[in-house]
Amino acid sequence: MDNAIETKNLTKYYDKLLAVDHINFEAKKGEIFGFLGPNGAGKTTTIRMLTGISKPTEGTATVMGYDIQRHPIQAKEQMGIVPDISNIYNELSAWDNLVFTGKLYDLPKELRETKAEELLKMFGLYERRKEKVQGFSRGMKRRICIAMALMNRSSIVFLDEPTSGLDVQSVLIIRETVRKLNHEGLTIFITTHNLEEASQMCDRVAIINRGKIAAIDTPEKLKRTVQGLQSVEVAFATSPVKALNDLKELPSIREVMKEGDKFRLFADDPSNVLASVWNYSQKNNLKLITVNTLGPSLEDVFVNLTGIRPTTEEPKRSAQNR
Amino acid sequence: MIKNVIEDKGAISSSYSIRFMREIRVAWAIAAKDMLTYYTKPPALMFGILFPFTLFLSFSIGRNIPLAQQIPMLIAQTLFFASSSIGPVVIPMERANQTFDRFLTAPVTLLSVLMGKTLAGIIYGVGISIIPVIAGVAFFSSQIVNVGALIACFALSSLAFSALGIMFASIPGQTPGQVMMPLNFVRIPLLFISGIFTSIGDLPAWMQAVSLLSPLTHTVELARYGLGTGGFFGPVINIAVLGGYAVVFVFMSIRFHILNQRKE
Repeated sequence: MDNAIETKNLTKYYDKLLAVDHINFEAKKGEIFGFLGPNGAGKTTTIRMLTGISKPTEGTATVMGYDIQRHPIQAKEQMGIVPDISNIYNELSAWDNLVFTGKLYDLPKELRETKAEELLKMFGLYERRKEKVQGFSRGMKRRICIAMALMNRSSIVFLDEPTSGLDVQSVLIIRETVRKLNHEGLTIFITTHNLEEASQMCDRVAIINRGKIAAIDTPEKLKRTVQGLQSVEVAFATSPVKALNDLKELPSIREVMKEGDKFRLFADDPSNVLASVWNYSQKNNLKLITVNTLGPSLEDVFVNLTGIRPTTEEPKRSAQNR
Repeated sequence: MIKNVIEDKGAISSSYSIRFMREIRVAWAIAAKDMLTYYTKPPALMFGILFPFTLFLSFSIGRNIPLAQQIPMLIAQTLFFASSSIGPVVIPMERANQTFDRFLTAPVTLLSVLMGKTLAGIIYGVGISIIPVIAGVAFFSSQIVNVGALIACFALSSLAFSALGIMFASIPGQTPGQVMMPLNFVRIPLLFISGIFTSIGDLPAWMQAVSLLSPLTHTVELARYGLGTGGFFGPVINIAVLGGYAVVFVFMSIRFHILNQRKE
């Protein structure tokens, strides 16, 4: 058995609302599997079904070979879960939170204390172990939450938006920890809005949209599916207000997007674009300070498949984002 | 071959007993955590302690009944309110910050989780209600004349009322108020038909029949038997009815939470 997760026609209805629509996928043992999708696409509902919180309306899911419906105890023994909200006990200390988690998994006293100490040291919170976590920052609470997910000797960890809204230090610690755990053999199932993060961290990603899997593959192979999206990124020392419209008028350019102080010019042949942009800058006395040719990003794949630009699009089906 | 079958059966039985012990340990861990975390939360203090003591004082002050005779009323009220308040405080708060999901993703059964919650209610109810017993014996010349009745009163009532609270906590609210409100629609009317403020013997026959159906009636009566102030239905009926309610409430609390999980 090479698969850590297998789903067959996994489906979830909330009354008449179809949140997850007969999805089939496998995550292999030892890989970091990313689960991407816009708000309301069914990511959290899928995680809730895989972890036994929610019961599927139809279909099956196995985790480390155990059917989550038929053998929930054995399946849950294999997993650690970090939900989208840091569900820790604010009234308890960092130490007590971890020890209580150890008790839920029925770990012997000595083992749970050793594990708690090891994890608090690993996440840089050992010195503050006796403090109630209600005084902790959001990033520290997130670290405690991840530490709690690692208390049992799990084979797979589910992380639902683990770095969303955190400070840079916490994000780096969490990413580093996830990589380290994966190197140690742990399977990681991660949902994220951060496509760059998914591209950097995941061995494979699935893109889910409106409850259906739109694509599953390695990030690089997915990028190749939109190879037509070649682009050139340019930045001028000072950009005139009309630059966006001017650039759209240049020959061989299909589309222009303004991204911060830069312009991204999409074209079938970037070499033609370079000449046009150079002529435009000379003609308007603009100093070019950046010119990069870019291949398609995971974000391009995402936009191509879902039609949604993740950073700007309003959630359309928030009722499904449960 | 017979030897193998016996060995297999032995192994299965041993595996069940290991599982059972594990579930007990987890239930206890949940109860201990709830005690540490929620016993001093304002809604628990208000509905579990302040409410029954205030009700007791408002109905007893100025009435010409010796305090020793009023102690069973106070015991019954505190058992009733304190035991049934923990579930409605703990579960909605845990739902709100998603810590209840921790139990659903842990390798334990929902039964163990709910037993842990019920145990927290039992200990809270017994812990609060023992105070009037001690105060009655120490300061108001109450006497424990039937230890068995008093133990039955505490054990069965705290179990039944704690399970009642857990049952109501299956209402999908995220604040204690959302559960306490419907629960109080049940709890407060029961006070008036359970022989707390009016002796059951003084009620009309149809009211006596109604009071027989109230679990609180039997808590009051067992407390009275325990402290030697007499009852109406008799301790056997009290224990049978209260025991029956305990079983029904425990069963229904589990059933309702299972139904709730299916909707998740």
